[in-house]
Amino acid sequence: MNTKTLLYILKRIGLAILTVWIVVTVTFFVAHAVPGGPFASEKAITPAAKAALEAKYGLDKPLPEQYITYLKDIVTEFDFGPSLKNRGRDVIEIIADGMRTSAKLGLTAAGIALVVGVVLGAVAALRRNKLIDRVVMVFTTACISMPSFIMGTLFLILFAITLRILPANGNAAGGLILPVITLSLSPMANITRLTRSSMLDVLGQDYIRTAKAKGVSAPKVIFGHALKNALIPVITYFGPMLAYIVTGSLVVEQIFAVPGIGRAFVSSITDRDYPMIMGTTIVLASLIVIMNLVSDILYKVVDPRITLE
Amino acid sequence: MKKILALMLALALCLSMVACGGGKKTEAGTLSVCLASEPDTLDPALNSAVDGATMVAHLFSGLAKWAQDKDGKLVIVADSVTELVEGVANTDGTVTYTYTLRDGMKWSDGKDVTAADFVFAWNRAASPTLAADYCYMFEVIKGYAEMWETRDTGNKDADGNPIEEFVNPDAKLAVEAVDAKTLKVTLSNAVSYWNELLAFPTYYPVREDVVKNEKWATDPATYVCNGPYTMASWEHDSLITLKKNPNYIDAASVKLETLKCYLSDDANNMLTNFENGAWQMIDDVPTNEMANMASKYPTAYRVEGQIGTYYVNWNVNENILPATSTLTGVEAEKAKAEIRAALGLLYDRNYICKEIGQAGQVPASSFVAMGMTEPTDGSEFYKNAGSSDDYIGYYDVASSAIESNYNKAVEILKKYYTYDEATKKFTNFPTLTYLYNTNDGHKAIGEYLAGALAAVGITMKLENQEWNTFLNTRKNGDYSVARNGWLADYNDPICFLDMWTTTSGNNDIQFGKGAHAQLKMYNLDLSAQGYNVKVTNGTWAETYDVLIATIKSETNAAKRYELMHIAEDMLMATGCVTPLYYYTDIFMISDNVEGFFCNPLGYKYFMYCTVK
Repeated sequence: MNTKTLLYILKRIGLAILTVWIVVTVTFFVAHAVPGGPFASEKAITPAAKAALEAKYGLDKPLPEQYITYLKDIVTEFDFGPSLKNRGRDVIEIIADGMRTSAKLGLTAAGIALVVGVVLGAVAALRRNKLIDRVVMVFTTACISMPSFIMGTLFLILFAITLRILPANGNAAGGLILPVITLSLSPMANITRLTRSSMLDVLGQDYIRTAKAKGVSAPKVIFGHALKNALIPVITYFGPMLAYIVTGSLVVEQIFAVPGIGRAFVSSITDRDYPMIMGTTIVLASLIVIMNLVSDILYKVVDPRITLE
Repeated sequence: MKKILALMLALALCLSMVACGGGKKTEAGTLSVCLASEPDTLDPALNSAVDGATMVAHLFSGLAKWAQDKDGKLVIVADSVTELVEGVANTDGTVTYTYTLRDGMKWSDGKDVTAADFVFAWNRAASPTLAADYCYMFEVIKGYAEMWETRDTGNKDADGNPIEEFVNPDAKLAVEAVDAKTLKVTLSNAVSYWNELLAFPTYYPVREDVVKNEKWATDPATYVCNGPYTMASWEHDSLITLKKNPNYIDAASVKLETLKCYLSDDANNMLTNFENGAWQMIDDVPTNEMANMASKYPTAYRVEGQIGTYYVNWNVNENILPATSTLTGVEAEKAKAEIRAALGLLYDRNYICKEIGQAGQVPASSFVAMGMTEPTDGSEFYKNAGSSDDYIGYYDVASSAIESNYNKAVEILKKYYTYDEATKKFTNFPTLTYLYNTNDGHKAIGEYLAGALAAVGITMKLENQEWNTFLNTRKNGDYSVARNGWLADYNDPICFLDMWTTTSGNNDIQFGKGAHAQLKMYNLDLSAQGYNVKVTNGTWAETYDVLIATIKSETNAAKRYELMHIAEDMLMATGCVTPLYYYTDIFMISDNVEGFFCNPLGYKYFMYCTVK
């Protein structure tokens, strides 16, 4: 790695921190500006009780002061504070619990999407315009155009109710199978199509013809030369996709009752659980920023022609 | 492609076989239920949710508990005490109860349960330091008022609101541990629902050394309890497992070994799991599936009474008179009260219950819900409401009365608005906006109400807000008409009536606030009941607030209930409350489960269940 690359990475990390900070600041003030509060309920608590609670959690202080205290706690002690809704639990614990499930779900789904997508894409490209290519194209189009909540519901009816071979809730044993498949279908289809078009592009290049002319064996041409270069666009897609799958699996988590971070995020907003809103925002924003950064760096690794600056 | 698909399916199938077997097997002595999503807390003092209360009722044992007698009737019986004694009246009007704890009661960690544990737990739950949602459940105990008394510090907070401080930060409730086994508690005055309060989760004991750790109630390792079960595990957002507590004093009577409480907030997901046999009881059913489920599972689909009322409430300060009206002040408010009550006659509550609610709800003609009983003869409070001999409540909800109600309403409205006889519509009624919280059920009811009003030429627009915003808007009175609902905490009508005092946090109607505060138009004459109270043309605060205060200090049950009927009459006369239906509790429980019961507060009891 040369100095230029190192400088670039450092610059990007700096930018990433700046991005997260902006997101944190905007979220903090917007969350507090929304009407309602963490202690609102159908049965209103007495004003004195509410005041006592606000004092306990420091919500009685002026907003800028709360903001500075919050940032200071995070930077100096990595303390995200207690949840206002789940009394007795810290935000960091809840996020860790949610992330553990979401990451397991997201990473498995992403892995399946990547492997199946690349294989299907490569096969389709090599058998261009043959039956298998057409079938793959129709299948992937269906997967892209069918929203996950429809897929998920169909799977539920088929496997959990009619056949009764898989559980309907994500927290039972084997419960992650259906959500993983549901979650992986759309990105898998995208990767298939990306691999296919990029592979076709590469297969038509002069150096492939040269390799073939020189008598290099077909598998070596495909795996050693064609596929490696064809994967560059997939890598650009994969980084953000991974972040998206891990953070954006909310719908799937809801359908299959998977206790992931997506659900925690949405309920924190409806509950006005300020520390929880902030905690999840920071984690999700950081994840997306990091994934983008990693995919840019990977980009450079697989394609030395690209200069990072 | 087919091969690949087949391969994927086969893979999924194999994985599931190895990993789980579909989760439909029921283990002997284990019941899998789903009440709701992750409970906010399982600390009995902090909990204010129905699902939390159900779990806490399985984990703790208070002075009293809900049970079924041999005829299956719900009763409140002694739990941690030898008997539920009668109170002894003191000369100052207070009442003292002295309880004796049963011998041999232990915490789940083996230590003895003592009277001091109750003293500590009650003072903690009532205290401003904990600021629990249900702290006011201890309001009846002497000392509570002193505990919560505040005074203005003279300082203002960032928003300009005065900062108050507690006058007696060290105040305690009048509850004392005479010795390890004797608990003495003094109430400010006799209350008929005292035993019911003793069975309420907020009154359960906790131990000081246990709750010192603020996180005690989130971790099975630190969760020390004294009830039929202990917390074996808590996989957050996923599953809470309760196991029979060998240290429980009545362990022999507990039939169910393990209770698995799955955590989900998605009614569709619950139903899927119920239908495939993974869960034997679910506490929610998707509204659009209710009719279907009721016919598909006639015995498993259960509709139980719940003490609560679904209603529409008006903002008392909102002007609904026509622009041309010259009425002001008291005259205007009198007219508005008549108009609001008349509009309430235009709705067909049977249609709302049968076609929209579809959950066995009962059309309501009073605000105090069905399920509240009179102390004298045990009759239903709502049946004695209103003054008509022809129907129950404040208006006739029978289907046969629709036409007469309609005609009556139109006649009243004609006094204030222009009526076009040709189209049979009012032409100058100002446009109303109905506020509800985002939910398909509330929306459907709003649409029906708007349709019913449109039939007489009144335009009512619908506006929905997300729950927390909605609560805030309604509380602040930034609306004209809004949906509302209220569930009782105990069997006493006061919990429906004291919410409408001027300073109550639930006074969404804004009685006694804004312009309404100045209106001297209410009468209160309690001389016939033997009180020196007679107010003519008083404000809301001078009449209703006084009436509620009188009810709260009255010790004679029969008199109290008479006063509560007067209070409801006063409330209904304002026309600000339009009851639609009394709530029901809908859930599904497998036919394989025996020994289950639930109470009117919606708590479910599984400890005496057996699974076939």
